[in-house]
Amino acid sequence: MTTYTERAEKQKTSDQRAAAIRLKNNRLGMNIFQVSWIMAFVALIVVNWQLRFNYSQWPPAGVPPFDLILPSVATLALLISSALVVQALKILRRGLAAAFLVKWRLAIGLGALFLAVIVYEFLNVSDAAMATQYGNTFRLMTGFHFVHALAILAIMCRVYQEANQGKYSGDEHDSWAVEGAAKLWYFVTFAWMLFYLVLYWIR
Amino acid sequence: MATIAVPLGGAQARQEVQAVRRPALSEYLRWSVDHKIIGVQYGVTSLLFFIIGGALAMGIRLELWTPELDLMVSGAAYNSLFTMHGTIMIFLFIIPMWAAYGNFVVPLQLGAKDMAFPWLNAFAFWLIPPAGVVMLLGYFVSPAEAGWTSYPPLSTLFSGDGQTLWALGAHLLGLSSILGSINFIVTILNMRPPEMTIWRMPLLCWAVLATSIIAVMATPFLAGALTLLLLDRMTGTTFFDAAGGGDVLLWQNIFWFYSHPAVYIMVLPGMGVLSEVLSIHSRKPVFGYRMVGLSSMAIAIVGFTVWAHHMFTSLQPELRIPFMITTMIIAVPTGIKMFSWLGTIWGGKIRFTSAMLFALGFMSMFVIGGITGVMLAALPFDIHVHDTYFVVSHFHFVLFGGSVFAIYAALYHWFPKITGRMMDETLGRIHFVFTYLGFLITFFPMHIVGMLGMPRRVAVYDPAFTDFNRLISFAAFVLGFSTFIVLYNIVRSYFHGPIASANPWRALTLEWATTSPPPPTNFHDDPIPYEDPYGYGTEAASAYIEAIDMAFDRRDPAPSGAD
Repeated sequence: MTTYTERAEKQKTSDQRAAAIRLKNNRLGMNIFQVSWIMAFVALIVVNWQLRFNYSQWPPAGVPPFDLILPSVATLALLISSALVVQALKILRRGLAAAFLVKWRLAIGLGALFLAVIVYEFLNVSDAAMATQYGNTFRLMTGFHFVHALAILAIMCRVYQEANQGKYSGDEHDSWAVEGAAKLWYFVTFAWMLFYLVLYWIR
Repeated sequence: MATIAVPLGGAQARQEVQAVRRPALSEYLRWSVDHKIIGVQYGVTSLLFFIIGGALAMGIRLELWTPELDLMVSGAAYNSLFTMHGTIMIFLFIIPMWAAYGNFVVPLQLGAKDMAFPWLNAFAFWLIPPAGVVMLLGYFVSPAEAGWTSYPPLSTLFSGDGQTLWALGAHLLGLSSILGSINFIVTILNMRPPEMTIWRMPLLCWAVLATSIIAVMATPFLAGALTLLLLDRMTGTTFFDAAGGGDVLLWQNIFWFYSHPAVYIMVLPGMGVLSEVLSIHSRKPVFGYRMVGLSSMAIAIVGFTVWAHHMFTSLQPELRIPFMITTMIIAVPTGIKMFSWLGTIWGGKIRFTSAMLFALGFMSMFVIGGITGVMLAALPFDIHVHDTYFVVSHFHFVLFGGSVFAIYAALYHWFPKITGRMMDETLGRIHFVFTYLGFLITFFPMHIVGMLGMPRRVAVYDPAFTDFNRLISFAAFVLGFSTFIVLYNIVRSYFHGPIASANPWRALTLEWATTSPPPPTNFHDDPIPYEDPYGYGTEAASAYIEAIDMAFDRRDPAPSGAD
């Protein structure tokens, strides 16, 4: 007969094992999702690419190219936001909840700034551009990215709310929501970097 | 005598083994996160759509009985008929049907208690019924007429609102497929018992892994294409409209970048089933196990480089030869599988069970589909038979002669595990004869009418082809009838079939090392896989199988030495 303590110990190790497997599954699942869903963004890049060949020059004749300054500032904000998320996650692992909240809040703020600029750019595409695929694909890509960024920013806000209530300790097993949200935000950043290059730099 | 691994931990485990009652039928109608329930939910849903899609096929053949329009009021009505037939069979029957077997069998073969993400699994399934309903509603509103490939401008300028619903439904199905596939990959990579290295994994798991990798990488392209289609139809963008700087070839590129790999999504799991069934029912190890597993991966990778062979007639001429070459290369890993199956059954103790008959049917039919595939890959030939019945014949040999035969083989093979009852073998053999002959006589003559020049997707044809079409239609009705035999067999066996033992086929893979049907936690103890999933014909294998029989089916006091 096993004693009560022995049984409790066994239960605990099996709980720990289950938690470890769960975390391993979550991480692999997230990685696969990232690799998979980036293909949807790649598909839109292919769209942009193929439609360019219908014009002799890009942007098409008579269409002024998009302004670079404001989107570049927004891109920088997004990059800093992502870097802050990296730091925030490290800080949380060390158990510094208050410092985590500061960084996470800043990251959300910069993310919101990025989104605001993208909305402004989306709404201010010139009529000349909209008459061609230059404007069409721009709205397609920024719009598609915006939907993802907005949804993931909402997840980050939710994580902030729960972290504020002290729900996450530094232990990686019970803070998957934070890690998951962070990885989704890296995804948003990576996807935007691809789009930023294609939309603004590759002519 | 060497130590023999047994599937159960110890004598104590045996005492806990009791007959497991199968879930009540009502449990299948509810949200459940159990992979076995979800597997059956997928299976039954797909089967219902198979019946609908089959009825539409009968409508097509009835229309083609005469060279004039008779059943349909117009060519457009005929267009929507075959559009729905293709869409339902591909998106709502074959693809979810493989998710059914994958869900039920894969975790059991891995010795896992469930999939990695049970909730996500249920969610992925429950996207399918609404998607199917949306697509079917479209048929009654103002049907899509552009074929399952939905080429613009047919799908943008001519089809009705049903096309929009079609795209929405396909969007949901794509999402379901991606979520399901993420789940399969994580389950297969992370949830194997420590004894089961990747090179000891059953070949169905290899096939599902390869399929899932294709699905996660390719399906987002479908999502992209459908998004563009929806935008063009609903918001007035011009991505596919040349007048606005758009390009109809854009759809073809993006759509086929998903849909050609999707062909392998539809057939690779069938190839996995075949390796299982042929080995078990001929009592021989799989010939060239590693090469079979790797060839699945090779097909998955090369499958991404061949999409433009669907566009030989519309592609820039300089790109034709490269795509012709990659397409022909894909015959190599497929050929490896064919030789493996032949090598597996060669000299084996073949038992002509229904499952085995359908597996042999697959081999004979799929090889024809494969050879016509290589013929079509040859550019000059493809241009000659482009959009004729030769193409219709080719893909039905792959998708019916391949996928559906494998679906039937898998049904007869795993039905005892799923329901705890054996299927009626006599009815199974009758079903096989009708299906095999019905299929062959339906689709083989299509090669000939295709080469003679009968175009696909038309309701009115040259009266010179009438005799051929009557023969094809007659055989198609026989094929349609054969489906009722298996449906009757399923229902009858579910209620009145003989009780199945844990391991009726004397197999070595882990799904058979538990009761039929398995308990909610799948295994009574952590199961220990046999060292080689297909190591039939050795004393150790016999002892392992004997141990399973002892543990689950013999109610007399456990003899010593069984552990």
